[in-house]
Amino acid sequence: MKRWMANPIVRETVRIVAAVGLALLLGFIITLFVSEDPLNAYRSFLLGPLTRLNRIGDWLEESITLIFLGLATAIVFKAELFSLGAEGQMVLGALTAGVVSLYVPLPPALRLPLALLAAMVVGFLWGAIPGILKANLNANELVSSLMLNTIALKIYEWLLTFYIKPPNAGYTASDFFPKEGVLPNFFPPIPGLEGVRQTLVNQTNLTIMLYIMLAAIFVVYFLMYRTPFGYELRMVGINLKFARYGGVDIKKVIILAMAVSGIFAGLAGAHLAMGIHTKLILNITFGLGFEGVVVALLARNNPLAVPFTGLAYGYLRAGADVMERASDMSREMVLVIQAIIILLVTAERVLPMVQKRIAASRSNGEGAAAAAEGGSHAA
Amino acid sequence: MAALIEMREIVKIYPNGVVANDGVNFSVDRGEIHALVGENGAGKSTLMKILYGMERPTGGEILLDGQPVHFHSSNDAIAAGVGMVHQNFMLVPSFTVAENIVLGQEPLRNGLLDQAEALRVTRELSQQYGLRVEPEAVVDSINVGMRQRVEILKTLYRGAQVLILDEPTAVLTPQETQELFAAVRKLVDQGKTVIFITHKLREVKEISNRVTVMRSGKVMGVVQTEDATRESLARMMVGRDVFLQVNKPPVTRGKKVLEVHNLSYVSETGRTMLHNVSFNVYGGEVLGIAGVEGNGQTELAETLSGLRPAATGTASVNGKAILNTNPRTVRLSGVAHIPEDRLTNGLALTASIDENLIVDRYFRPPFHRGLFIDYKVVEKQSADLIQEYGIRTPNGKLPVKSLSGGNMQKVIVAREFTSDPALLIAAQPTRGIDVGATEFVRDQLVKQRTDGKAVLLISADLSEVMSLSDRIIVMYEGEITGVFPDAASVSEEELGLYMLGIKRQTKEEMEAVL
Ligand SMILES: Nc1ncnc2c1ncn2[C@@H]1O[C@H](COP(=O)(O)OP(=O)(O)O)[C@@H](O)[C@H]1O
Ligand SMILES: [Mg+2]
Repeated sequence: MKRWMANPIVRETVRIVAAVGLALLLGFIITLFVSEDPLNAYRSFLLGPLTRLNRIGDWLEESITLIFLGLATAIVFKAELFSLGAEGQMVLGALTAGVVSLYVPLPPALRLPLALLAAMVVGFLWGAIPGILKANLNANELVSSLMLNTIALKIYEWLLTFYIKPPNAGYTASDFFPKEGVLPNFFPPIPGLEGVRQTLVNQTNLTIMLYIMLAAIFVVYFLMYRTPFGYELRMVGINLKFARYGGVDIKKVIILAMAVSGIFAGLAGAHLAMGIHTKLILNITFGLGFEGVVVALLARNNPLAVPFTGLAYGYLRAGADVMERASDMSREMVLVIQAIIILLVTAERVLPMVQKRIAASRSNGEGAAAAAEGGSHAA
Repeated sequence: MAALIEMREIVKIYPNGVVANDGVNFSVDRGEIHALVGENGAGKSTLMKILYGMERPTGGEILLDGQPVHFHSSNDAIAAGVGMVHQNFMLVPSFTVAENIVLGQEPLRNGLLDQAEALRVTRELSQQYGLRVEPEAVVDSINVGMRQRVEILKTLYRGAQVLILDEPTAVLTPQETQELFAAVRKLVDQGKTVIFITHKLREVKEISNRVTVMRSGKVMGVVQTEDATRESLARMMVGRDVFLQVNKPPVTRGKKVLEVHNLSYVSETGRTMLHNVSFNVYGGEVLGIAGVEGNGQTELAETLSGLRPAATGTASVNGKAILNTNPRTVRLSGVAHIPEDRLTNGLALTASIDENLIVDRYFRPPFHRGLFIDYKVVEKQSADLIQEYGIRTPNGKLPVKSLSGGNMQKVIVAREFTSDPALLIAAQPTRGIDVGATEFVRDQLVKQRTDGKAVLLISADLSEVMSLSDRIIVMYEGEITGVFPDAASVSEEELGLYMLGIKRQTKEEMEAVL
């Protein structure tokens, strides 16, 4: 074995590149069989997102959502909590952000921060619920968070249909948010560059959410790796019994981890409502909540890697969109290619987690993280 | 006579750069019991994995019966008659004993596993070698000792002529160890050859014909067992004189630190594991708890440290109640705890050494300042402790799982001893660690006591209890059955009678001395 392969970062990168390369090759072989014009179809998949400014915009906008969701998921996964509640938290985040944007009569300087804050608070509270259920009743977080997703979705649809939708509108959506409730473009109004800004405003929905996202990445990083709470979170994830033995309040950590994760899912919702759509529509999330899992897994739950995996995964999705529109390939084929990539890249990462889970449930659900580690001790 | 196995100039460099074997020459004669000893991390397992085809050597050659062999996998080794029982067992938990034994070379009938035949060969092998197993029991339900016998039978079933046993006694009780030794002798009587890895020198003396000593990836010497003493072997292993006797200066007993009154514990399955246990521990003393494992010692340590709820009773440290609170409260009351199961409770294996050293203190200054943990302080503490406790590692950033067992235990000891406890609960503090680390941990325990701390020592190693304790109590079936106020004046045999439940003192006798 070569020396440089011993470096984990190199090894990791090589592995990901190899997996993606292999998957793209497989994808191309599939395309060869399915498409009349495989070269063009595949080119639109690989290069499509970069061909026009608005497509670049689409890619980056969706990546922002994915990155927020990836951060949210990384937080719970770091504590080995299998919460899939980001979808519901995001929907409610979009709802509250939207309601504030629509109805609170404040100037933008106050209305926008209030809307974002409201989305964060709602995400926090909605995230806390499965945490409380798990900490106190030992309710499985996977099940309870999925159920809460459905509840959140129904609340959203109900409020939108019966209260928010203008009575005379022919489709289920709110009015467009007033100017005071729409996030400004990320490009500052620099004198002399008004033209550039205008082009960006016309063709993309890239808002100041970009900066909030950048801040969020660092916040999550510092939270995880520099604060006492982050330490507790990680120790609970690595070995729950060790954390307990050392005096960590496990219940507090479980509840807080789920709640804090909700903050970022809430922000993802605010981004959908106030940045991308600028109104509330049905199916506003498109099931994106679960894609955070892929982003977090690819990033090994490391917040500093999340922007990269989020962008990469966003690119894949954007390329799929373009290919679907620009060629005879169906979306399903594209999904197959995506799935192959995800499978190849994450397989190695998911397996140990599943094993740990099984080991944990064998020892009476006490989360014996060490059971999975025990085999590797160097004695 | 040519050696049966000869390994020449074996070098093994792991991908992470660790040189685990550095020009090792190792030879074993037919029909001998050859002990391979060395501290944790010396490279014993690596050398044997190479012999067993599990690891490829970076350099060197292996001769079997004088013929060079190249094993590409353990299947090759098995085909050549070399079998190995690992430190961590590799059985299928949901299969029966018999199924596990024949797994891989199943007797078939009509294309299906012939259960009757599997049971028959299992019984026959078990008889032949005196290795007691229950062929129809599911592996999940049998104890560690029997699992090990199953592993040994499995290798024999596959036709092993040479058996490598990697630290087989680390998981066994003294009785089971004796049983294993008897079986090993029987194996050799029937023409097998056994390589026996251990770091317990007493066992080396008892079982082996010849000893190879390793240190830091090299062979330090090969000696006939009868020519070696425990001291001489220890010196070879560690590279300096080792004092197997603990030096214990006299101290006067201080004030009462731990007071336990009528403590009972009932397990989740409803069994009473502790029954009205009462005792005190004073500053400046080691109170040793002797007993065969499974007589309530684990439960005692874990109820006192806040990991399990007590059913009845009280316990206080310097007057502060600790029972049925939580581990943080117990720790803040001045209790430190070296847990019995260090891999489960004591460490977060994939976390760094630095982070393992702060689990009881990360929330307090100087470690916690403002919003953040001050990792400069964490690293500084870690560097100091690595130095002071002789934890062998290049730095504190490495995950704990990269350490050997002895060094892992030193991480725990370093953390628990530096929390400035009033009471130290040490459960099996030297189990499974090497001679050097054992000596170190024992010295440190005595030092804590000499500094006026109260030490509650729980150990299945009777000689450890006897040499470290000032007072001894014996536990049997969850009760205290004997109290010995002067540890120095009680004999091993006497304690043994109490441990086995043959003798017990009356309540009055015990109260008189408690
Ligand atoms: N798979 C491995 N990869 C890297 N290093 C290893 C591996 N296995 C063992 N080591 C290292 O090699 C050295 C020797 O280990 P080992 O052979 O297990 O020693 P022993 O059995 O004598 O305790 C130790 O430093 C250990 O950490
Ligand atoms: Mg070993």
